Amino acid sequence: MKLIPQRFTEPNFLLRLLVIWRMVFAALAAGGILAAWLIAALPLWQQILITAALGLAGGFSLAAIPDIRRRNHRGRTISLFVDYLAFVASAVILLSVGNVFVGIDALGETFSRGIPALGVILLGYIITTTSEFSPRVNTIAPGANYLDIAGKWVMLAGAAYFLLAVQAPSGLLYFLTKILQPAGLLALVGVLVFGLGLWMMGNKPVANEMGSHAHNEQMLSGWLFLSPNLLGFLVFFAGPLLLSFYFSFTDSDAFNTPHFIGLANYARIINITFRPLSSATQLAKDLVDIKTYDEVGRLIFGNTGILFAAEDKFFWLALKNTLTFALFAVPLSVLPALLLANILNSKLPGMKFFRAVYFMPSIAAIVGISLVWQWLYNATVGFINYAITLGVDFWNNLFNAGLIDPRIQWVSDEKTALLAIIIIAAWQTMGFNTVLFLAGLQNIPGELYEAATVDGATPWHKFRFITIPLLAPSTFYVLTTTTISAMQIFEQVFILMNPPEGPNNATITLVLYLYRSGFQNFKQGYASAIAWILFIVIFGITLIQFKQQRKSGVYEN
Amino acid sequence: MKLPSYRLNRFISALVVYTVLIVFAGIMLFPFIYMLTTSFKLPADTFRYPPRVLPRDPITTQVIGYTDALPLYYVDDHGTQKEYALARSNIQVGTFAAPDSLSATVEKYLTEVKPTGGAMTQKTVMVNGKEEKLYDVEANGKIVPMVLLSTTTVGEFVDPQNPGVKLYQNVRLSQPVEKISAHPENYNDVIALQGIDRALTNTILVTILVTLGQMATSVVGGYAFARLKFPGRDSIFVFYLGTIMIPFVMFIVPLYQLMVVIGWTDRLAALIVPWIFTAYGTFLMRQHFITFPKEIEEAALIDGASRFQILWQIIIPASIPALATQGTFTFLYAWNSFLWPLVVINVGNEKNHVLTLALNVLRGRASDTPNLILAGAAIAILPPLIVFILGQRFFVESVASSGVKG
Repeated sequence: MKLIPQRFTEPNFLLRLLVIWRMVFAALAAGGILAAWLIAALPLWQQILITAALGLAGGFSLAAIPDIRRRNHRGRTISLFVDYLAFVASAVILLSVGNVFVGIDALGETFSRGIPALGVILLGYIITTTSEFSPRVNTIAPGANYLDIAGKWVMLAGAAYFLLAVQAPSGLLYFLTKILQPAGLLALVGVLVFGLGLWMMGNKPVANEMGSHAHNEQMLSGWLFLSPNLLGFLVFFAGPLLLSFYFSFTDSDAFNTPHFIGLANYARIINITFRPLSSATQLAKDLVDIKTYDEVGRLIFGNTGILFAAEDKFFWLALKNTLTFALFAVPLSVLPALLLANILNSKLPGMKFFRAVYFMPSIAAIVGISLVWQWLYNATVGFINYAITLGVDFWNNLFNAGLIDPRIQWVSDEKTALLAIIIIAAWQTMGFNTVLFLAGLQNIPGELYEAATVDGATPWHKFRFITIPLLAPSTFYVLTTTTISAMQIFEQVFILMNPPEGPNNATITLVLYLYRSGFQNFKQGYASAIAWILFIVIFGITLIQFKQQRKSGVYEN
Repeated sequence: MKLPSYRLNRFISALVVYTVLIVFAGIMLFPFIYMLTTSFKLPADTFRYPPRVLPRDPITTQVIGYTDALPLYYVDDHGTQKEYALARSNIQVGTFAAPDSLSATVEKYLTEVKPTGGAMTQKTVMVNGKEEKLYDVEANGKIVPMVLLSTTTVGEFVDPQNPGVKLYQNVRLSQPVEKISAHPENYNDVIALQGIDRALTNTILVTILVTLGQMATSVVGGYAFARLKFPGRDSIFVFYLGTIMIPFVMFIVPLYQLMVVIGWTDRLAALIVPWIFTAYGTFLMRQHFITFPKEIEEAALIDGASRFQILWQIIIPASIPALATQGTFTFLYAWNSFLWPLVVINVGNEKNHVLTLALNVLRGRASDTPNLILAGAAIAILPPLIVFILGQRFFVESVASSGVKG
């Protein structure tokens, strides 16, 4: 700071400079807009985006000038916001011009050599933390804690070793050579200039001159702290969500310019008709126009029935399969979980061990788990069919019965394919739900049970009239989360079934169909519409569950 | 007076409880055990019926007169079971009978019989309205033309101690002599087969970066939500909460398009950068920080500490358990994710595959060697499982508390 003459760090001088800077900023923004329309051959939507962003930034920049002159704190806020956003934008541009993001791939190549170094860093960290538990930790004398210092040196050495091992120096060199081109240098200048703008407005004397109060500082640090998350969230989630909504009204195919087609995607998806059948075997083409409609299925009552035909039969099959899956997988996961949680809640020894064992499936990669089950389900040498064979033989020997070994073709029979998926999903989520129920049970005060025992309640009465009502919040949470994830079933089906939609589309699910539409047939507009319908279905189910809970949750405190 | 029956009741109920618990524990653990043991098997062992849990190797032995080591089998030597070595397999044995007396059958090696009338001009005979070829078969010292009724394949088994003693029986129906063994080289093989080492490296890299990045943004974001008052904060928070419920599949299409625009398809960056910013992590951190006593912070502020110093020096050190929990969740999520990598990373671009993608490819490529597939699955499943077992108690309890709060 002493290198700069005091005259230049004087608040009034800096603020005069800032007023000029705000004007220059607005002029630059205007220039940028012009450049976007005149020079660069950008797609229309990018031109609009640039115009909007720069227009807003420039406009705010100008709007801040009177406030800065009047020493109104609002001018400082606006100035800081605009400069901060511009600073972040230039930094991101600088990094991407320097191929930092894309360069992560290159890191993948050298990273394995650096893994031992990560171990060294971890060792250093462990040494540092053990020093905190040593009795001398509270001595005030600096340097008394040798372990702490040694650990830090080990971490430093590990980091240096890591950087060398992953060839960070050559990466840095590459970065420097990359940014030595017009776009990179421009971004670098941007980072420096906007950074300077931030410093000028941010420093204490200027803040005081602008009449900054504690609540202003809190507001600024609040936005600053939230900004990394909020910006990323807007760019990668909120923005795409809006885009998805827009795509669902287009015929986007990921390659060509999308055209707005209104509700056509939705209309096609939900277009279904019902026709009464005059006989159970009547052909669909006699009843509906088969140029538009495909038969989805039929309900038969004796000699008559109803024919379901839809424009997009796969969607309706997927919806049917997904709902069927959820209808069976959710109870099959939740009910045993409730039983197990009640058992684990007893104070017998060894319960923590069982709890850990039950939890294990829910942390394993679904892809790996599905591969394991694929071989368990194997029709000839799989353990599941072997267990069934043993069971049948045992039963036949015991009762001299004539049961026939079913020899189920689990994944290639359309009757059992979905069941196979249901079993895996229930197996995998049961333990997680058990732990959630257990937590709910442990929150129920024990006095209630004691009082009930004194009143002569049976265990069943206690369960029915104490546990169930008081567990309602946990039950709601478990049911909702299990249902939401069940409605998104994909990985098990994709790995286990070959082809993924299963025999005769027996395991086509909504997410699978969405994936197929969007990333195999590249009908991304259509896939977006499917996504929104899936969202509405999930939202509806959650809403129903919520209402049910409100209705039954009379005991909730 | 009721004491004995009370104790009996307790005993019986404990018995029932533990039976139920152990049965469920078996169901939960069996796929993992199966995965591990199968990953140490030989391919032939995995296709054996009935299936067995532990990996086994056939035992071989050196027999005088044979250069290669021969596999040992249990053979039935006149009612006693002995261990003999299989010297030759695929020996074709034919069942022959004279056309006029089909019930009197003779068994001969196909190499011992010759076509009647020579190979090119083999004579035939009509048997039961069908034309059958005739063979010269030696029976009771005489050569008789006979028809071939059926053939079976047997193996030649020799006594390892006494190679002159031979026995013939069906190889497929014979039990090999085996010992329990393990083939850890399966892991090397699967790594070599599918570039799983690169996929493992990528997965570790992606997981570390996602976890660290997400922790960083959600800690500062959560702190802002919990402790810093500023206009707009609460509406943004409500907005964040609203998006937690939105299923991930809503994002894949537009996020993919975004990746196309910024040129990140097929890049590891696409697996990392978008996942650094999560509403859920920020929400959890906020829920944690809000329980932190305000007084400590206010005292530090009066002492002139900046917000960042407070966060870094006071709040984070006091929140290690919460951070570790969230870090573990993020670790699991990043390690296990499949749909997004499947969408954004090309199947052909194996350099940028993560483990789940490599497994998906392996599934098709090694479908005849389940031992390798399950070794690959174990590579993907074991690291999270080890992390879990190390921090088990702590981790399960925090899941429980998230459920109670949520």
